[in-house]
Amino acid sequence: MELPQADPASTLSMTPVRELSRLAALLRYEILDTPEESAFDDFTELAARLCETPIALISLVDDRRQWFKSRVGLEVSETPREISFCTYTILGEEIFEVPDALQDPRFCHNPLVVGDPHIRFYAGTPLTSPDGYNLGTLCVIDREPRRLSAEQRDTLERLGRQVIRLFEQHLLAHRYAEQAALQQAMLDSASSAVLVTRPDGVVTSVNPTAERMLGHSEQELVGHQLTSALFRREALQRRATLLSNELQTPIEPDFAVLTAPLHRGRREMSEWRLRHRSGADVPVLVGVTAIHDEQEELRGYLVNAYDLAYQEQLQLRLQQIAAQVPGMLFQFHWRPDGASCFPYVSEGVEQIYGLSPGQLAGSFAPIIARVYALDRSALLGSIREAAAELAPWHIEHRVEHPRKGLIWVEARATPLQQVDGSVLWHGFVTDITVRKAEQLELERQQEMNRRLLEALSEAVIACDADGCLTLFNEKAKQWHGTDVAPVPPDEWPTRYQLYHPDGVTLLRPEEIPLLRALHGEHVCDHEMVLLGQGEPRHVLSNADPLYTSDGQPMGAVAVLHDITERKRIERLQREFISTVSHELRTPLTSITGALGLICSNVMGEVPEAMHELLDIAQQNSQRLNALIDDLLDMDKLHAGKMRFALLRQPLQPQLELALRSNRNYAEQHGVVLQLGTCPAVTVEIDAMRLQQVLSNLLSNAAKFSPAGEQVELSATLSDGRVRISVRDRGPGISADFRERVFQKFAQADSSDSRQQGGTGLGLAISKELIERMGGQIGFESEPGHGACFWFELPSEGLAKESP
Amino acid sequence: MAELRRILHVEDDPSIQAVTKLALEAIGGYQVLSCSSGAQALEEVEAFAPDFILLDVMMPGMDGPQTLLNLRERVDLERIPVTFMTAKVQPGEIEHLRKLGARDVIIKPFDPMQLAEQIRAIWLADRY
Repeated sequence: MELPQADPASTLSMTPVRELSRLAALLRYEILDTPEESAFDDFTELAARLCETPIALISLVDDRRQWFKSRVGLEVSETPREISFCTYTILGEEIFEVPDALQDPRFCHNPLVVGDPHIRFYAGTPLTSPDGYNLGTLCVIDREPRRLSAEQRDTLERLGRQVIRLFEQHLLAHRYAEQAALQQAMLDSASSAVLVTRPDGVVTSVNPTAERMLGHSEQELVGHQLTSALFRREALQRRATLLSNELQTPIEPDFAVLTAPLHRGRREMSEWRLRHRSGADVPVLVGVTAIHDEQEELRGYLVNAYDLAYQEQLQLRLQQIAAQVPGMLFQFHWRPDGASCFPYVSEGVEQIYGLSPGQLAGSFAPIIARVYALDRSALLGSIREAAAELAPWHIEHRVEHPRKGLIWVEARATPLQQVDGSVLWHGFVTDITVRKAEQLELERQQEMNRRLLEALSEAVIACDADGCLTLFNEKAKQWHGTDVAPVPPDEWPTRYQLYHPDGVTLLRPEEIPLLRALHGEHVCDHEMVLLGQGEPRHVLSNADPLYTSDGQPMGAVAVLHDITERKRIERLQREFISTVSHELRTPLTSITGALGLICSNVMGEVPEAMHELLDIAQQNSQRLNALIDDLLDMDKLHAGKMRFALLRQPLQPQLELALRSNRNYAEQHGVVLQLGTCPAVTVEIDAMRLQQVLSNLLSNAAKFSPAGEQVELSATLSDGRVRISVRDRGPGISADFRERVFQKFAQADSSDSRQQGGTGLGLAISKELIERMGGQIGFESEPGHGACFWFELPSEGLAKESP
Repeated sequence: MAELRRILHVEDDPSIQAVTKLALEAIGGYQVLSCSSGAQALEEVEAFAPDFILLDVMMPGMDGPQTLLNLRERVDLERIPVTFMTAKVQPGEIEHLRKLGARDVIIKPFDPMQLAEQIRAIWLADRY
């Protein structure tokens, strides 16, 4: 009899994806190849009995075989999937029944049918997981053809569902075991002490770290109240009081101290000192977690205790370091709700606020109370601002220190945002009273200097070492018509209207006194004109370089003195002298003319008795003329109106001319003029002015020589200059007159002018004239041994002139 | 060759006027007409027909240089030398006065004994 071959690959397949998911579901139960279990065997025994079959199996189908978790009446533990009946069962959702395998073309050639165990009858119900996958079957087998009754089918299905439930339980048990092992491992290896309690605080388990940290074995702690076993009564009492205030409800000094904050939604860590079995204190940080079951029922607490001994060491080290730091170090905690505290403050807080670290344990308020009232709002504002922006914080404020009085302190800190939104600050505060006093004193001095500069009637200008203008005082701004601006020195003359004394020519930058001083020069009384305000302002500028205390250049300063008014008065004086001189000359011309005519007897013989008086009148009118001439010369020299017709010429003829011109005058005084040596040189001079000087010196010498003496005019050469000397044998120059010899209207004493008939301007004019011609004038004298007046001029040898 | 006889003197200061007149008349023997202003000089110059004119520079109203220019309208100044008398001045100013047509400049204060001789020297220098 030909029956079709069973072919699972072509006729018994589900979609590959679904089959893969089914296999994954089967593997998840982790039941394949596990040992026999009586719980499963009960079901196969029951199935065989109720269905009245010799064989019953719990069969699980994987990718290549069916494996029997439990079997009754069969020796083999698995068979290939291709020949299994169960492969058909798991394709459907109901019982799969084969009444007579030999009559069924799918199974008539099956080795299990034609050979051992000679199956004729098969009925299996699929084992369907809660997520809908058929993992295998609960099946019954007989060696005789038959059918199950309706009751038996129903029983088989019910048993199948029970088997799946058993699978589920098996899986859960497996998971629990794993989790329990994991938890134990975690507890055992935790670096913190972990103590588990019941809701009432009685210890149910502790981990090895707890045993090690506290010196108690698990047995010694389990069954005891946690707080009474390990916590100190006083500490519990203190904490209870604190919490009662904070939470506004009475808290008992027992286990509630640890759990109360938790039930108000605050998960916090608190520091404690636990009792070691030896009696010693163990510093710990304690955190408490509530354990709830699936129904949200409180099952107990997990108490974690972190060893702080190491932290305490660090704390001690910090304390020792902080003690070396002037001022105070702190850590400050600022909560969004405004509450704040100092987790750490160094002992230096006494130096700053006159408080001990203990006084700041709970509150920031004691510090605020010490801050000077006027500085409080600024201080709090700056903290809020820095916390909001998380920017480094820096503020100076005053403190009313109980011991030191009012002091200035400086605080700096850096805020760090915490996960809970609070801000943690690390910083320090130092006493800056001394520095502040110095700073205030410095500011006061600077203010004083500033006011001083503004009060000056002089203009003050300064620049730094780079030539940048740094200061115009009030007068400087006013006179320049502008304030300092960052312009290069090249532009100063135009920007600040700096002119030569003529008021027309702009100063060149290198002529500006301030710049000259910047280059190290000491500038004294440099005259210039400022046109910044329109009207020319004549000023004298004095400028000096400025150096730091160690000699480094730091700039220059110039002080301008207004001489406009002085110049105006001088000009008026000169105009007055000039006018008066001219006006005097007219009547004098008539007087001298008239006297000249009378004395010459042209108008008739003058009586002998009148001669002396007429001579006096004539001499004095001539003296007045000379005085007026001198005044006008002086005026011209000062006004710069004296013109010099400089011409290079031999010196000797000039000396000879001077001798001739003054011989008569000398003879009147009974004095002889002599020419001494004269080198063959030329000088560049205005001959008329040179004669004026020589006349002045010769007539002075003649005037002051005793009758019968000689006056010698001579010249000597040295270093390219010729010195012309006039030597007399008069009384010489007295010591107290030496300094004034070349001053205007200077005469040895007031009687001299009358006695000797000088104007007092001769030497002053001579000095000016010689200097204008590039020379120098001076004298040597010993009282009682005559005087030698000399002047030097640049000269050249005659030979060069006439090769 | 003409003789120097008549000198016209223009000077606003009466004292100088008097001393000058005296010095020129008494020592030089000249005939002097003194005028107190340039205007008077212009009125009198043709009638007086001077051989020489002596002019003060600073005068109220018409000053010396202006008088010189006006005189030129009336008389032949090529034939009549004009000399200024002035207080000590700068060399440049003397140059300026010469350019105006002055033969020379006599500086005040002058020596009355020398004045007549000075003027004669100028007059003669002009002749040759």
